[in-house]
Amino acid sequence: MRAAIRAATATFLAVLVLAGCGRKPSTPEAGPPATAEEKVLNVYNWSDYIDPAVIEAFQKETGIAVRYDVFDSNEVLETKLLTGKSGYDVVVPSAYFLERQVQAGVFRKLDKTRLAGLANLDPGLQASVARHDPGNEHGVIYMWGTTGIGYDADRIAAIMPDAPTDSWSLVLDPAVVSKFQGCGVSFLDDPTDMVGTVLLWLGKDPNSQSEDDLKLAEEALLKIRPYIRTIHSSQYIEDLANGEVCIAVGYSGDVLLARDRAAEAGKELDIRYVIPREGALMWFDTLAIPADAAHPNNAHAFIDYLLRPDVAAANSNYVNYATANTEALALVNDELRNDTGIYPTPEVKERLQPNLAKSAEFTRSLNRAWTRFVTGR
Amino acid sequence: MSGGRPWFRMLALALGFAFLYIPIVSLVVFSFNESRLVTVWGGFSTKWYGALLDNQQIIGAALLSLKIAAISATVAVVLGTLTGMALARFGPFRGRTMLSGMATAPLVMPEVITGLSLLLLFVTLEQLFGWPEGRGMTTIILAHVTFAMAFVTVIVQSRLAQFDESLEEAAQDLGARPAKVFFLVTLPIIFPALLSGWLLAFTLSLDDLVIASFVAGPGSSTLPMVVFSKVRLGVSPDINALATILIVIVAIGVAIAGVVMSRQQKTRDRDAQMALAANQQMIDSLKKG
Repeated sequence: MRAAIRAATATFLAVLVLAGCGRKPSTPEAGPPATAEEKVLNVYNWSDYIDPAVIEAFQKETGIAVRYDVFDSNEVLETKLLTGKSGYDVVVPSAYFLERQVQAGVFRKLDKTRLAGLANLDPGLQASVARHDPGNEHGVIYMWGTTGIGYDADRIAAIMPDAPTDSWSLVLDPAVVSKFQGCGVSFLDDPTDMVGTVLLWLGKDPNSQSEDDLKLAEEALLKIRPYIRTIHSSQYIEDLANGEVCIAVGYSGDVLLARDRAAEAGKELDIRYVIPREGALMWFDTLAIPADAAHPNNAHAFIDYLLRPDVAAANSNYVNYATANTEALALVNDELRNDTGIYPTPEVKERLQPNLAKSAEFTRSLNRAWTRFVTGR
Repeated sequence: MSGGRPWFRMLALALGFAFLYIPIVSLVVFSFNESRLVTVWGGFSTKWYGALLDNQQIIGAALLSLKIAAISATVAVVLGTLTGMALARFGPFRGRTMLSGMATAPLVMPEVITGLSLLLLFVTLEQLFGWPEGRGMTTIILAHVTFAMAFVTVIVQSRLAQFDESLEEAAQDLGARPAKVFFLVTLPIIFPALLSGWLLAFTLSLDDLVIASFVAGPGSSTLPMVVFSKVRLGVSPDINALATILIVIVAIGVAIAGVVMSRQQKTRDRDAQMALAANQQMIDSLKKG
């Protein structure tokens, strides 16, 4: 049912984007209005995606009261942004969505003179986000991660001692993945991520918008469909932890979360996360300020606060995702910092690619191909 | 029907109850689970109830949801009763078909459409009149009244259609004004329908996610919104604890409603018997005379 809702919402969003494009982009001039703002800040973010102590410390230091609301999908956030007057001052879209929303003109240009902490951000990652948001003018990286493979090392070794655990072949090669049908394989329910990944494995550009490449990817996916147990974007956290599946294509921090959950439940599972040698797609969650935000000064203050090394490290430790803040690295837990799945080595970083927004026509073909894969027809 | 194959009826009953209540029972059982994993049993513990009390976000969202549900159910019952009365009592009037169609349209309207259209309405209203200023609890209540009212209307209208109009006519013959007739005769008789309408509206408001996420604003995350948002990282067992508490509250509410309704039914039956007996006496005395 949620998929149906998402599809319907997407249709409306398409209409709204079109309407938005017709409108003259009314991005206000960067720079603070001279009037003083009331000491309130409305933040709209994912649930459990910030260290609560950070919000308290910010309130204490600045006297600005933070109202923190949560959304459950980027689509809901996008609807509110595109209709306008959302009431929020800081929102956290993923870069894929940020790209479309910037085009629709819903964000205020950041006043970089007031974001001293921007200098702390990793230039390589900033350059990747600039492919979504030219010049990094609207979005500041909050957390980032990759779409790779999580697996239960013991059970994989028991079934296939020479399993290619450093390659996408583990889940995409029919000869390999068929062996793990019995112990369970889970895929993300996300067409752009999954098709991009298959294209990477096939040696193509993951951001290709050619129908021929899409066809190749669909053929490859249909061949392995019988061996996939679940196609869901968050179920695998629980499933990996309780042993329901032994391989899951998933997001870096989530796989780590599955490992922690298993440990908390007293299970000795060797759950690992790998970025395959063919490369992987990376995603970013970015902080942005809506064009009609009522408290842009407070919003800038909040974003700059989140860019402080100690604050960025606290958030990274809390949510188990990587911060792009190079100054914060030294303050991140050893265990997290040394996990190459979360903080990849420079060589691995070279092989990561952003997942760019696609045209409306391509998205339509993509969704159709994905539906055929999910239903197995 | 009665007699033959009692085992079959028992089996059907057992399966029916199992189908309805096993999920709820498992939710209650797992709320006492020691383990962090929702589906793996790790021993008995009440720690998630403690964790719940510490979780200000969930408690705040639950209180907000209850407040919204209570207010919107009450408003929906008032408006729905008026609409139901108009449709059932006022005979054919100009625009009646349109009113009945419009009043019940939200029943069949997909929630996405209701939510999005209300959002656009609120944004436009704000641009034109400056009201509602921003979005939040008020707009969620308005949205919930909109669709809950349709359910109340249908319930009240069907109750009124069954009820014997001669009772109202008799009261009018005895000199009661329309308002008095409504409050002393009509309202007590349709009260069970109002109560079930209120409970239905309350429930619908409490579990609505789609419409609320469209029309919510800063500082107004309802419980379903918080729960769904947590799904991204897997649901934590304190949600089970909260659900158990809500089930207990709802069960008590439904039990009280049931008792009130059955008492009323008894009173009504007794009144009806007394009236019949009085009637009989009168007829007897007339015959004698």
